[in-house]
Amino acid sequence: MEDLFIAATQYTPHIAMRATGVVDISGKSYPENTFDFYKPVMLWLKNYLTSSQSNKQLKINFEIVYFNSSSSKMFFDFFDLLDEYNDRFNIVIEWRYDEENDIANESGEDFVADFPKLNIALKAF
Amino acid sequence: MGADTIRKLTEEDGVVFLIYASFLTQMLISSIADVIEKEAEARGLESTGLNGVYTVLIELAQNMMNYAKSKDQAARTDGLIWVGRDPQNDHYYVQSRNLVDLQDRQKIEPKLNEILSMDSETLKARYRELRRNGLYAHEHGGGIGFYEIAKRAQSISCQFVAIGNDKFYFDFKATIAVKK
Repeated sequence: MEDLFIAATQYTPHIAMRATGVVDISGKSYPENTFDFYKPVMLWLKNYLTSSQSNKQLKINFEIVYFNSSSSKMFFDFFDLLDEYNDRFNIVIEWRYDEENDIANESGEDFVADFPKLNIALKAF
Repeated sequence: MGADTIRKLTEEDGVVFLIYASFLTQMLISSIADVIEKEAEARGLESTGLNGVYTVLIELAQNMMNYAKSKDQAARTDGLIWVGRDPQNDHYYVQSRNLVDLQDRQKIEPKLNEILSMDSETLKARYRELRRNGLYAHEHGGGIGFYEIAKRAQSISCQFVAIGNDKFYFDFKATIAVKK
Protein backbone atom coordinates (compact mmCIF):
# COMPACT_ATOMS: atom_id res chain seq x y z
CA MET A 1 0.00 0.00 0.00
CA GLU A 2 1.57 3.29 -1.09
CA ASP A 3 0.97 6.79 0.20
CA LEU A 4 -0.91 9.24 -2.00
CA PHE A 5 0.02 12.90 -1.98
CA ILE A 6 -1.62 15.62 -4.10
CA ALA A 7 -0.38 19.20 -3.78
CA ALA A 8 -2.93 21.97 -3.31
CA THR A 9 -3.76 24.41 -6.09
CA GLN A 10 -5.89 27.58 -6.07
CA TYR A 11 -8.99 25.42 -6.47
CA THR A 12 -8.08 21.92 -5.28
CA PRO A 13 -7.15 20.76 -1.80
CA HIS A 14 -3.94 19.35 -0.35
CA ILE A 15 -4.40 15.62 0.02
CA ALA A 16 -2.22 13.21 1.98
CA MET A 17 -3.33 9.58 2.32
CA ARG A 18 -0.82 7.53 4.25
CA ALA A 19 -0.55 3.78 4.47
CA THR A 20 -0.33 4.21 8.26
CA GLY A 21 -4.02 5.14 8.11
CA VAL A 22 -3.77 8.92 8.54
CA VAL A 23 -5.49 11.05 5.91
CA ASP A 24 -5.48 14.85 5.55
CA ILE A 25 -7.70 16.79 3.15
CA SER A 26 -7.42 20.58 3.43
CA GLY A 27 -7.94 23.75 1.41
CA LYS A 28 -10.42 24.71 -1.29
CA SER A 29 -12.25 22.25 -3.48
CA TYR A 30 -13.88 23.31 -6.72
CA PRO A 31 -12.01 21.32 -9.38
CA GLU A 32 -12.75 21.72 -13.04
CA ASN A 33 -13.71 18.04 -13.16
CA THR A 34 -14.51 16.84 -9.67
CA PHE A 35 -15.00 13.19 -10.60
CA ASP A 36 -11.59 12.96 -12.32
CA PHE A 37 -9.84 14.85 -9.54
CA TYR A 38 -11.14 12.59 -6.77
CA LYS A 39 -10.81 9.33 -8.72
CA PRO A 40 -7.36 8.45 -7.23
CA VAL A 41 -8.60 9.47 -3.77
CA MET A 42 -11.60 7.15 -3.93
CA LEU A 43 -9.43 4.39 -5.37
CA TRP A 44 -6.85 4.73 -2.58
CA LEU A 45 -9.60 4.60 0.04
CA LYS A 46 -11.21 1.53 -1.51
CA ASN A 47 -7.82 -0.21 -1.69
CA TYR A 48 -7.03 0.64 1.91
CA LEU A 49 -10.38 -0.62 3.16
CA THR A 50 -10.08 -3.88 1.24
CA SER A 51 -6.34 -4.47 1.80
CA SER A 52 -5.37 -7.34 4.08
CA GLN A 53 -2.26 -5.36 5.12
CA SER A 54 -4.01 -2.31 6.54
CA ASN A 55 -3.96 -1.86 10.32
CA LYS A 56 -7.77 -1.46 10.47
CA GLN A 57 -7.39 2.11 11.71
CA LEU A 58 -8.23 5.30 9.88
CA LYS A 59 -7.90 8.86 11.14
CA ILE A 60 -9.24 11.38 8.64
CA ASN A 61 -8.74 15.12 9.05
CA PHE A 62 -10.86 17.41 6.91
CA GLU A 63 -10.16 21.13 6.92
CA ILE A 64 -11.98 22.45 3.92
CA VAL A 65 -12.30 26.21 3.59
CA TYR A 66 -14.69 26.08 0.68
CA PHE A 67 -16.14 23.34 -1.52
CA ASN A 68 -18.59 23.42 -4.41
CA SER A 69 -21.69 21.28 -4.76
CA SER A 70 -20.02 18.57 -6.85
CA SER A 71 -17.21 18.24 -4.27
CA SER A 72 -19.92 18.00 -1.63
CA LYS A 73 -21.39 15.06 -3.53
CA MET A 74 -17.93 13.49 -3.74
CA PHE A 75 -17.37 13.87 0.02
CA PHE A 76 -20.75 12.25 0.54
CA ASP A 77 -19.58 9.25 -1.54
CA PHE A 78 -16.33 9.22 0.47
CA PHE A 79 -18.27 9.05 3.75
CA ASP A 80 -20.61 6.48 2.25
CA LEU A 81 -17.67 4.18 1.54
CA LEU A 82 -16.35 4.65 5.08
CA ASP A 83 -19.81 3.89 6.42
CA GLU A 84 -19.79 0.58 4.55
CA TYR A 85 -16.60 -0.53 6.34
CA ASN A 86 -17.27 1.13 9.67
CA ASP A 87 -17.95 -2.16 11.47
CA ARG A 88 -14.59 -3.63 10.48
CA PHE A 89 -12.38 -0.57 11.03
CA ASN A 90 -11.71 1.92 13.76
CA ILE A 91 -12.56 5.10 11.83
CA VAL A 92 -12.25 8.56 13.36
CA ILE A 93 -13.09 11.65 11.31
CA GLU A 94 -12.32 15.19 12.38
CA TRP A 95 -14.15 17.94 10.49
CA ARG A 96 -12.26 21.15 11.31
CA TYR A 97 -13.64 24.55 10.39
CA ASP A 98 -13.10 28.23 11.08
CA GLU A 99 -15.71 29.25 13.68
CA GLU A 100 -16.67 32.19 11.43
CA ASN A 101 -17.34 29.86 8.51
CA ASP A 102 -20.97 28.91 9.00
CA ILE A 103 -21.16 27.16 5.62
CA ALA A 104 -18.37 24.73 6.60
CA ASN A 105 -20.02 24.27 9.99
CA GLU A 106 -23.42 23.52 8.45
CA SER A 107 -21.84 21.09 5.98
CA GLY A 108 -20.18 19.22 8.82
CA GLU A 109 -23.48 19.03 10.72
CA ASP A 110 -25.21 17.67 7.60
CA PHE A 111 -22.61 14.90 7.26
CA VAL A 112 -23.02 14.00 10.93
CA ALA A 113 -26.79 13.76 10.40
CA ASP A 114 -26.43 11.77 7.16
CA PHE A 115 -23.99 9.26 8.67
CA PRO A 116 -25.06 8.68 12.28
CA LYS A 117 -22.91 5.54 12.65
CA LEU A 118 -19.67 7.28 11.67
CA ASN A 119 -17.53 8.86 14.34
CA ILE A 120 -17.38 12.44 13.01
CA ALA A 121 -16.17 15.15 15.39
CA LEU A 122 -16.80 18.79 14.46
CA LYS A 123 -14.02 21.05 15.66
CA ALA A 124 -14.14 24.83 15.37
CA PHE A 125 -10.88 26.77 15.49
CA MET B 1 -18.48 51.81 -26.06
CA GLY B 2 -15.78 53.87 -24.38
CA ALA B 3 -14.21 53.18 -21.00
CA ASP B 4 -16.00 56.15 -19.42
CA THR B 5 -19.37 54.81 -20.49
CA ILE B 6 -18.61 51.39 -19.03
CA ARG B 7 -17.32 52.97 -15.84
CA LYS B 8 -20.46 55.10 -15.46
CA LEU B 9 -22.71 52.11 -15.98
CA THR B 10 -20.88 49.91 -13.51
CA GLU B 11 -20.62 52.65 -10.86
CA GLU B 12 -24.36 53.26 -10.98
CA ASP B 13 -24.98 49.60 -10.19
CA GLY B 14 -22.18 49.18 -7.64
CA VAL B 15 -20.48 46.60 -9.85
CA VAL B 16 -17.44 44.99 -8.24
CA PHE B 17 -16.49 43.26 -11.44
CA LEU B 18 -18.02 42.44 -14.77
CA ILE B 19 -16.89 39.79 -17.20
CA TYR B 20 -17.99 38.97 -20.67
CA ALA B 21 -16.37 35.68 -21.44
CA SER B 22 -16.46 33.98 -24.81
CA PHE B 23 -14.59 31.21 -23.07
CA LEU B 24 -15.08 30.85 -19.35
CA THR B 25 -12.13 28.85 -18.01
CA GLN B 26 -11.35 27.32 -14.63
CA MET B 27 -8.41 29.71 -14.19
CA LEU B 28 -10.65 32.69 -14.92
CA ILE B 29 -13.20 31.46 -12.36
CA SER B 30 -10.46 31.01 -9.80
CA SER B 31 -9.22 34.55 -10.48
CA ILE B 32 -12.66 36.11 -10.08
CA ALA B 33 -13.08 34.16 -6.84
CA ASP B 34 -9.87 35.88 -5.67
CA VAL B 35 -11.49 39.24 -6.44
CA ILE B 36 -14.27 38.40 -3.96
CA GLU B 37 -11.67 37.64 -1.28
CA LYS B 38 -10.00 41.00 -1.98
CA GLU B 39 -13.40 42.73 -1.82
CA ALA B 40 -14.04 41.26 1.65
CA GLU B 41 -10.58 42.42 2.74
CA ALA B 42 -11.09 45.92 1.30
CA ARG B 43 -14.39 46.28 3.15
CA GLY B 44 -12.84 45.18 6.42
CA LEU B 45 -15.04 42.09 6.63
CA GLU B 46 -14.04 38.75 8.14
CA SER B 47 -12.49 36.45 5.56
CA THR B 48 -15.76 34.51 5.59
CA GLY B 49 -17.98 37.65 5.29
CA LEU B 50 -18.59 37.15 1.60
CA ASN B 51 -18.71 33.34 1.66
CA GLY B 52 -22.24 33.38 0.29
CA VAL B 53 -21.19 35.53 -2.65
CA TYR B 54 -18.16 33.30 -3.22
CA THR B 55 -20.32 30.17 -3.23
CA VAL B 56 -22.96 31.57 -5.57
CA LEU B 57 -20.38 32.97 -7.97
CA ILE B 58 -18.38 29.75 -8.29
CA GLU B 59 -21.46 27.54 -8.67
CA LEU B 60 -22.93 29.81 -11.31
CA ALA B 61 -19.70 30.27 -13.27
CA GLN B 62 -18.86 26.55 -13.18
CA ASN B 63 -22.41 25.75 -14.29
CA MET B 64 -21.89 28.01 -17.28
CA MET B 65 -18.45 26.59 -18.07
CA ASN B 66 -19.56 22.96 -17.82
CA TYR B 67 -22.72 23.62 -19.79
CA ALA B 68 -20.69 25.14 -22.63
CA LYS B 69 -18.29 22.18 -22.58
CA SER B 70 -21.16 19.75 -22.90
CA LYS B 71 -22.43 21.55 -25.98
CA ASP B 72 -19.47 21.76 -28.29
CA GLN B 73 -15.78 21.19 -28.32
CA ALA B 74 -14.90 24.84 -28.67
CA ALA B 75 -16.82 25.38 -25.39
CA ARG B 76 -17.85 28.96 -26.09
CA THR B 77 -19.70 30.22 -23.08
CA ASP B 78 -20.84 33.53 -24.54
CA GLY B 79 -21.61 34.31 -20.96
CA LEU B 80 -21.95 37.51 -19.07
CA ILE B 81 -21.43 37.46 -15.33
CA TRP B 82 -21.18 40.28 -12.85
CA VAL B 83 -21.13 40.91 -9.14
CA GLY B 84 -22.33 44.12 -7.55
CA ARG B 85 -23.01 45.67 -4.20
CA ASP B 86 -26.12 47.53 -3.16
CA PRO B 87 -24.83 49.89 -0.45
CA GLN B 88 -28.30 50.97 0.64
CA ASN B 89 -29.54 47.48 1.40
CA ASP B 90 -26.05 46.21 2.18
CA HIS B 91 -26.31 43.15 0.06
CA TYR B 92 -24.44 41.80 -2.91
CA TYR B 93 -25.86 40.38 -6.07
CA VAL B 94 -24.51 37.96 -8.66
CA GLN B 95 -26.05 38.10 -12.11
CA SER B 96 -25.45 36.10 -15.24
CA ARG B 97 -26.67 35.60 -18.77
CA ASN B 98 -25.89 32.71 -21.08
CA LEU B 99 -27.38 31.08 -24.13
CA VAL B 100 -29.38 27.87 -23.76
CA ASP B 101 -31.48 25.81 -26.16
CA LEU B 102 -35.08 24.69 -25.73
CA GLN B 103 -34.18 21.20 -24.54
CA ASP B 104 -32.04 22.59 -21.73
CA ARG B 105 -34.59 25.21 -20.80
CA GLN B 106 -37.01 22.33 -20.30
CA LYS B 107 -34.51 20.65 -17.94
CA ILE B 108 -33.53 23.75 -15.94
CA GLU B 109 -36.93 25.41 -15.57
CA PRO B 110 -38.71 22.73 -13.49
CA LYS B 111 -35.76 22.64 -11.06
CA LEU B 112 -35.83 26.41 -10.65
CA ASN B 113 -39.59 26.40 -10.22
CA GLU B 114 -39.25 23.76 -7.54
CA ILE B 115 -36.53 25.80 -5.77
CA LEU B 116 -38.60 28.99 -5.94
CA SER B 117 -41.54 27.20 -4.31
CA MET B 118 -39.50 26.01 -1.30
CA ASP B 119 -38.78 27.63 2.04
CA SER B 120 -35.23 27.39 3.40
CA GLU B 121 -35.74 24.27 5.54
CA THR B 122 -37.40 22.36 2.68
CA LEU B 123 -34.61 23.47 0.39
CA LYS B 124 -31.90 22.18 2.75
CA ALA B 125 -33.70 18.85 3.09
CA ARG B 126 -34.12 18.55 -0.68
CA TYR B 127 -30.42 19.32 -1.24
CA ARG B 128 -29.41 16.53 1.11
CA GLU B 129 -31.87 14.16 -0.51
CA LEU B 130 -30.49 14.91 -3.99
CA ARG B 131 -26.94 14.49 -2.76
CA ARG B 132 -27.80 11.18 -1.14
CA ASN B 133 -29.57 9.65 -4.12
CA GLY B 134 -27.07 10.98 -6.66
CA LEU B 135 -29.73 12.51 -8.85
CA TYR B 136 -28.27 15.23 -11.12
CA ALA B 137 -24.78 14.10 -10.03
CA HIS B 138 -23.38 13.77 -13.51
CA GLU B 139 -25.11 16.63 -15.27
CA HIS B 140 -22.97 19.18 -17.05
CA GLY B 141 -24.00 22.30 -15.24
CA GLY B 142 -27.22 23.01 -13.42
CA GLY B 143 -27.07 19.87 -11.22
CA ILE B 144 -27.51 20.36 -7.49
CA GLY B 145 -25.63 23.64 -7.93
CA PHE B 146 -28.83 25.68 -8.21
CA TYR B 147 -30.03 24.22 -4.90
CA GLU B 148 -26.72 25.21 -3.29
CA ILE B 149 -27.05 28.73 -4.74
CA ALA B 150 -30.58 29.07 -3.41
CA LYS B 151 -29.48 27.94 0.06
CA ARG B 152 -26.94 30.76 0.21
CA ALA B 153 -29.04 33.53 -1.37
CA GLN B 154 -31.67 35.78 0.17
CA SER B 155 -33.56 35.59 -3.09
CA ILE B 156 -33.15 34.33 -6.62
CA SER B 157 -34.90 35.25 -9.85
CA CYS B 158 -34.54 34.15 -13.43
CA GLN B 159 -36.06 34.41 -16.87
CA PHE B 160 -35.68 32.90 -20.30
CA VAL B 161 -35.67 35.45 -23.12
CA ALA B 162 -36.53 33.95 -26.51
CA ILE B 163 -34.20 35.02 -29.31
CA GLY B 164 -35.54 32.73 -32.05
CA ASN B 165 -34.67 29.27 -33.38
CA ASP B 166 -35.49 27.66 -30.04
CA LYS B 167 -32.67 29.59 -28.39
CA PHE B 168 -32.98 31.61 -25.18
CA TYR B 169 -30.95 33.92 -23.02
CA PHE B 170 -31.03 32.49 -19.54
CA ASP B 171 -30.88 35.44 -17.12
CA PHE B 172 -30.22 34.67 -13.48
CA LYS B 173 -29.87 36.85 -10.39
CA ALA B 174 -29.13 35.97 -6.78
CA THR B 175 -28.96 38.49 -3.93
CA ILE B 176 -26.80 37.63 -0.92
CA ALA B 177 -26.58 39.23 2.50
CA VAL B 178 -23.23 40.36 3.88
CA LYS B 179 -22.23 38.41 6.98
CA LYS B 180 -20.77 40.71 9.63
